[in-house]
Amino acid sequence: MRLSWIARVQIILALAFYAILWGLREVFPQYSQLLTLVIFYTALGQAFNIFLGLTGYVDFGYVAFMALGMYGGALAVKYVASTELPPILALVLGPLQSVAMAVVVASAIGLIALRLRGAFFAIATVGVNEGLRHLIEGARIWGGAEGVIIPGDLRKLFGDEGFGYITTAYADTMLAVIASCAAIATWVLKNSRIGYGLAALREDEDAAKVMGVNTTKYKIIAFITSASFGSLIGSAWGLKVTTIYPPEAFNITYTIEAVIVTVIGGAGTLFGPLIGGVLYTLTKYYLGVALPGLQLLIFAPILVAVATTFPRGVAGSIRMIYSRRYILRELLR
Amino acid sequence: MIAITLLELKKITKRFGGLVALRDISLSIDEGELVGIIGPNGSGKTTLFNVISGVYKPDSGSIFFAGIDITSYPPHRRARMGIARAFQIPRPFPGLSVRENVAIGALFGVGGEGLDIESALARADDVLRLVGLYEKRLELAERLTGSEKKMLELARAIAMSPRLLLLDEVMAGTPPASIDKLAGIIRELAREGVASVSLVEHVLRAVAKIVERAVVLHRGEIVLEGSVEEVLRSEKLREIYLGGVRFVA
Amino acid sequence: MDIGDLFFNITSGLILGSIYGISTIGLSIIFGIMRVVNVGHGAFIMLGAYAAFWLFTIYGLIPFISAVVSLAMGLAIGMILFYIIMRRIIRGEELMSLIAMYGVGIFLEELANYLWHADYRGYSWYIGAIPYLGLRIQLTAISGAILSIATIAALFVFLYRTGLGSSLRAVAQDPVGAYICGIDVQRIYALGAGLGIGLATLGGVLLTLYNPTGIYPYLGHPYTLKAFVIAVLGGLGSILGAFLGGLIFGVIESGATYIFSQLGSPSPGSLALFLGFVILILILLIRPEGLLRR
Repeated sequence: MRLSWIARVQIILALAFYAILWGLREVFPQYSQLLTLVIFYTALGQAFNIFLGLTGYVDFGYVAFMALGMYGGALAVKYVASTELPPILALVLGPLQSVAMAVVVASAIGLIALRLRGAFFAIATVGVNEGLRHLIEGARIWGGAEGVIIPGDLRKLFGDEGFGYITTAYADTMLAVIASCAAIATWVLKNSRIGYGLAALREDEDAAKVMGVNTTKYKIIAFITSASFGSLIGSAWGLKVTTIYPPEAFNITYTIEAVIVTVIGGAGTLFGPLIGGVLYTLTKYYLGVALPGLQLLIFAPILVAVATTFPRGVAGSIRMIYSRRYILRELLR
Repeated sequence: MIAITLLELKKITKRFGGLVALRDISLSIDEGELVGIIGPNGSGKTTLFNVISGVYKPDSGSIFFAGIDITSYPPHRRARMGIARAFQIPRPFPGLSVRENVAIGALFGVGGEGLDIESALARADDVLRLVGLYEKRLELAERLTGSEKKMLELARAIAMSPRLLLLDEVMAGTPPASIDKLAGIIRELAREGVASVSLVEHVLRAVAKIVERAVVLHRGEIVLEGSVEEVLRSEKLREIYLGGVRFVA
Repeated sequence: MDIGDLFFNITSGLILGSIYGISTIGLSIIFGIMRVVNVGHGAFIMLGAYAAFWLFTIYGLIPFISAVVSLAMGLAIGMILFYIIMRRIIRGEELMSLIAMYGVGIFLEELANYLWHADYRGYSWYIGAIPYLGLRIQLTAISGAILSIATIAALFVFLYRTGLGSSLRAVAQDPVGAYICGIDVQRIYALGAGLGIGLATLGGVLLTLYNPTGIYPYLGHPYTLKAFVIAVLGGLGSILGAFLGGLIFGVIESGATYIFSQLGSPSPGSLALFLGFVILILILLIRPEGLLRR
């Protein structure tokens, strides 16, 4: 895959962004909470963007994958704690299990629902989150409504100091790595044959089909990839919150935030989620000091305004304004 | 020279509710042929194209392409086999550049699987040079003028290395200066074995440049077939168009 | 399993189902006329529920009056919403139309949360109950069902016997044709939006007649899902379909909740909701045009 130098600069900038954020945590520990949140939200946006941005479809039940990831990670910890296996296995098994669960569920949903046209797919996904949550609560799977609680197991595996380390530095690093991988995945997809097919299908699905793009296959690939990263984020996040119970894990707020970060930042662009994530996190964090819980009230109308008047988001709109400047246009792709 | 049958429609019928859009259509097109489907609005021309490109499944009958039964093939598979389509109202991908639009044709048309992005873009450049849009290759497709979009539509189809071109009213709305160029491209492709089927509602003199064999469609049935000169002179055609065929010079 | 109990559940399911039907018709109307999927539908039901609560608590207005007030309020909100937002998304990318309506719903919920806080509210209005199968059915619930049926009857009269209603149907079928016939399509769209939202808020009031508790800002979420199941069940865009779909769903939900609780599930309501979701998927796959469409 021979790439233009602009594309190479793009991915280096994105990775540098995450590296800098992660590094700043070490240099300014007093800001580590804020920085971690920025990493979390940009990661969420990056993962969500792989599907929404590249296909133009929206999965309103996206948080279900994050929840699955949280469960996958936590259950792995519980399992390893109950055996004599080496503790490090918990940290390896967790992400693997999370991804496996996401792939299975995403494949099922994808094969069934991605044959539906945009609006109908969105309708179907409205229920995925609630449906899965109610299934877990109602059928008492994985602890049902009481959830999974892992601080005890973590302490048993790693000791008190290890517990402190894992729930902060390790989890944060994991998030930064996942975010970077999601950025790389987005970038690889966009610059490959699949990416061109996805771009075509987002612009005009029927025309894309007639031109030879296997739209269903590509939608499913994007969906599963996006879901996998979502679950990995959940896996890391689960290590931070250490109690996973359905109303919180399946909290629709995460989907809302993912939509906000991605769409306002610029759906489909590489830097969109970064911009959206920074804007959203800073607002949420500093607003939270004075007026907690108001960030959604503020961002919802912004989201509506973006959707109705600036559908390309910050990155995309800048790109359009300067569309005659080839370099800037390609850089903000 | 042995004419190889490229596309074969066998007794295709397509209904929409109570309306029969196509009735028992049988048609055969050879490699390198220049065919025109002539008919007024509502005759079923667009439905025929939709059936050939795979957007609609026929209620009965079968379609063969290069000897293979493609009746149940989805649109993208037919495109990969070499059926390319240019729409009457151009539908370029608006947010992509001209070059990228054409590159998608190269990537997903015949032989596209093995193509990498660089080569696809290079091929796109070649095709754009052919149709005269090379200078605008980096522009966003939505910024092109109407006739430029029509050329882009054709360029995308050509980039797919098609064996069969489905051209929907490609002459209508094309400025006179471009007509000869367009016709030249289509005829050159025909010499290389690419068959073209053109939908024609308004019979212009220009049509004769890209049609050798004419098939007249009326209310979903083939009512007349022959060389373009014969058909254009026939009484039947005059009847169908109510008031006669008008030649626009 | 007590047959009497099961039948009682089915009856309450029918009552609730008629209310579900009215709540969902708005969704079908907006889709049928403008091809916009109101993803934030549940938030408007929530507004209606709050309207019933506040009007009762502060002004002592009985829910029957609140219903009318709600309908009028929803009509106004819907039309305003059309002119500010929906007008722009109709011709744009479908993704953005979904996102916009999603954002509207979230905004309303967050606003409700900010103004009225996340406490569960409720009111109690007892006007009697009738004995049925060994248990009692509240007259409020029955009146809710009666109002639902009355509303749908009125809706049909409006759509099929008035000029304005005919214009609405014309635009739903063929906006271009309607335009050529001289119908001001934009105004009809606005009216359709108003009607759709108004029926949703009305549905919210009626829901409180059935169950006057549990009113909180995020009330709408399960109802959005239920509305989609019902709308798709009956065929998006079909009013009668939405109503009948509501009845069917109401019965299935009540019956399933009862059966699951008998089977020992700690959250039978949750499982019933999951069943609803499964039904949605099945219909979308097998017969997306709905069970009740021609």
